[in-house]
Amino acid sequence: MSQLIVAATQLQPDLKAGLQSIGAGIAYGAAAIGPGIGIGLVVGNAIQAMARQPEMQGTIRTTMFLGIAFTEALALFGFVLFFLAKS
Amino acid sequence: MPVLGAFVFPPIDELFRWKDLWFNGSPLAINKTVLLVLISSLMIVTIFILGSRKRALRPGGVQNVVEMTYEFIDNGITKDVVGHDAGRFTPFLGTLFLFILFLNFWEVIPGIQFPPTSRMGIPGFLALLVYAVYLVTGFKNQGFKYLTGHLFPPGVPKALYILVTPIEFVQLFLVRPFSLAVRLLANMMAGHILLTALALLTAYALDTNPGILKVIAVGPFLLNIGVTGFEILVAFLQAYIFTLLTAVYLGDALHPDH
Amino acid sequence: MFATLLLAATEVSVKAKNPILPEGKEILWAAIAFVIVFSLLAWKAWPAIRAALKARQDKISEDLEKAEAARMEAETSLEDYKRQLAEARNDASRIIEEARLQAEGVRQERIAAVEGEIAELRARAAEDIRLATQRAMSDLQGRVAELSIELAEKVVERNLDRQTQTALIESYINQVGSN
Repeated sequence: MSQLIVAATQLQPDLKAGLQSIGAGIAYGAAAIGPGIGIGLVVGNAIQAMARQPEMQGTIRTTMFLGIAFTEALALFGFVLFFLAKS
Repeated sequence: MPVLGAFVFPPIDELFRWKDLWFNGSPLAINKTVLLVLISSLMIVTIFILGSRKRALRPGGVQNVVEMTYEFIDNGITKDVVGHDAGRFTPFLGTLFLFILFLNFWEVIPGIQFPPTSRMGIPGFLALLVYAVYLVTGFKNQGFKYLTGHLFPPGVPKALYILVTPIEFVQLFLVRPFSLAVRLLANMMAGHILLTALALLTAYALDTNPGILKVIAVGPFLLNIGVTGFEILVAFLQAYIFTLLTAVYLGDALHPDH
Repeated sequence: MFATLLLAATEVSVKAKNPILPEGKEILWAAIAFVIVFSLLAWKAWPAIRAALKARQDKISEDLEKAEAARMEAETSLEDYKRQLAEARNDASRIIEEARLQAEGVRQERIAAVEGEIAELRARAAEDIRLATQRAMSDLQGRVAELSIELAEKVVERNLDRQTQTALIESYINQVGSN
């Protein structure tokens, strides 16, 4: 299979770029799934916490942003991977 | 006859790389990114030095903005996140926040519409600076315990150290600075690509030949306005998150069980 | 037309590099700019802002203290006034009570006097009535006697001894009056 792809890319230079693009797209798409679910959980639970204890809103919001930032990091690695895989 | 089918998105590289305006080819060459960085720096310095010169008891205008920013950083970030004894970090965190905020806002300024923070040089430098600052603070404050406390967290079964220690090492020395830089870069870059794509779509739709098809331009145009509003929020939020994470790392360096 | 304009605005690079890789000049300039901004703000702006905020905070807490003191003073004087007012009210009610008692005494006195007067008047009137009745009675007795004599004279057509006749009738009438 891999030998086939190598042979094909030698025959058709455009094919390499195309395969790279497909790979990059799949990589980013896959990388975005987990963080998407994670951020949803973080924000949902933060809203629940805020509704239960409105007086703690400031602290909860700060913590929520931190949680989002840490979760988001994975999606961002996917974003970088997209550009690395493409070129 | 250019119809919508003829739409070609330019290579991403073309949206972000600018040719040198002055000092061509030298290490200190100035292009659009650098120019925007310099203008922003000038604006920050002007606003904040003018705003803090006049010390009216009843603040108004610039002074009000300046003092609100200071309070926001000092109370909301330094004292809440780093710690109550960490007032000395407010200048660093404040400058960091303003620098990123002003650079981010170029993304939505009509006629410029390019965030310099979407070039790796700027977030990369800032992340490295933060990296250096929190490592130095940590080692200065806790000595070697800063490292061991991270690599061998207390309360974890000894056998798990095989798993935990490498992860913590990577987290402390690689993931932290890398994610800090990439988060800012990727958010601004994605925003810029999105806005450019919508603007190009509008332009292409307006360029179609059968006049009636030009109506299609309304869609991406309205979407562009909406996304611009969203990007204003993102510009602020990313500056805030960068500063907040810096504060968290600094707080971790100052107080081990934080 | 718009498309060509926009394409002209985006810069065409000489050689395609990865857009996420940093460029040396941008790092350098960012470092220079950040260091300059940080030093200028740390030198001129942040201490001044901190001082201004501190001054305002001091002023506000001082004002609050002053206000608190003024409030305490006002409260004590209010307490004073309230006490005085209560005293005055007590005095007033005491005076009113006294006046009322005095008035009551006067009234009782007056009533007693008037009642005495009335009783005296009534007694005098009763006495008058009694005297008048007595007089009228004796008049009537005399008259009745005379009439009876005349009547008897006319009836018997005989002039009796007047003295005896009168005595007879007197005794008769007395007998009737006492009945």
